Amino acid sequence: MAVKIDSNLCGHIENCPVQGLCIKLCEQGAIIEKDGDVSIVPENCDDCDLCIQSCPNQAISKA
Amino acid sequence: MFAIEREGEEYRRLSYKDANCVGCGICVEVCPTESLRLGPTVPIARGLIEMDLVSVNESSCVFCGLCSVACPFDSLALTIDGADVKDIESYPVWEVESKIDEEECIYCGRCNEVCPRDSIIFERKLPNPVDLVRGEIEIDKDQCIYCSFCADMCPAGAIDIKNVPTSSNDLLNNSIEVDLSKCIFCGVCKRVCPEDAIKQICSTCMLVDEIPVPEITGDAFISEGSCVNCSWCSEICPVDAITITKPFEGTLELVEADEKVCKGDSCHACQDVCPCNAVEIVDGKSVTNLDFCNLCGACVIACPQDIRVLSRTAMKLNNINSESWNEILNGLIGK
Repeated sequence: MAVKIDSNLCGHIENCPVQGLCIKLCEQGAIIEKDGDVSIVPENCDDCDLCIQSCPNQAISKA
Repeated sequence: MFAIEREGEEYRRLSYKDANCVGCGICVEVCPTESLRLGPTVPIARGLIEMDLVSVNESSCVFCGLCSVACPFDSLALTIDGADVKDIESYPVWEVESKIDEEECIYCGRCNEVCPRDSIIFERKLPNPVDLVRGEIEIDKDQCIYCSFCADMCPAGAIDIKNVPTSSNDLLNNSIEVDLSKCIFCGVCKRVCPEDAIKQICSTCMLVDEIPVPEITGDAFISEGSCVNCSWCSEICPVDAITITKPFEGTLELVEADEKVCKGDSCHACQDVCPCNAVEIVDGKSVTNLDFCNLCGACVIACPQDIRVLSRTAMKLNNINSESWNEILNGLIGK
């Protein structure tokens, strides 16, 4: 099912308080940095929702 | 770490020690003015964000002190004119204890090894092994051929042999020394010597009464501030020298539903935030050992699936004299 990122809310690494907290939190490699932005790799997502819970901008939700 | 203060008829000061905080959110739960906030506990526990677990809104805080009395882990303190409310008779008090009975303690140090919070101050003095053995050893240097059998075989590494000449003028300059602070008079050197050059007597048997009984002394106590009453130390103590009272009684269960299931190794947020080292991921699921859990609830807040159900049935917070405080504080145990 994976997750989706609302790009209007997302800090896009540069403006994220933790420079890509979701990327650092996800141990499945389901959120990666691609061209300086945050990108989802749906096949790696385990639906643990840790990123949804922790995003400081509330930019991540269920796909 | 924060400290805020207000001067009025009384001087009130609320201070917060992050080192003692476990991120349970109890203070946030009881604050009547919603002035406290719990930070992102999982990223903090993983070291991704460096910040205090709890922060305060100074302008809305009324310095009532409810958070400080509710905190089971001594992380918050309200003082009124310099006196900590925990020491004021009319205020509630946690009747918990974490203590090592020094009469019973044998200073094995196992509690110190398992404590997840480094809360045990431990130091011990072992006797000098030399005082516990007795014997004599003599090497006849005229008979010794410096073969080094003894030094190679010595289990204590007590024999030092120099048997390689450093120059052509040095051919006879060999030496053999026994370090008596290491020798245990076991006799291996004597038995292995091909030249019968070593005389060794272990007089332990003859002098047994004169040999001191090993006495191990030390110091061990629990630093109550950082202790989270998990009971690892008291469970592992082989001589039952440790008393730990837990702040709460109750249970913690994993209740899964259709969409809400534990993701185990993918997530392990519960394990990361647990101050008690009570959570393990077994076969892909979070398993909490209630023997070590203090029912603080930090894992409940951390779980992104919201499937951890904490039911506290009793608590050791007593002497609650105000009706409104009683209502709020009893909310912690669902009464």
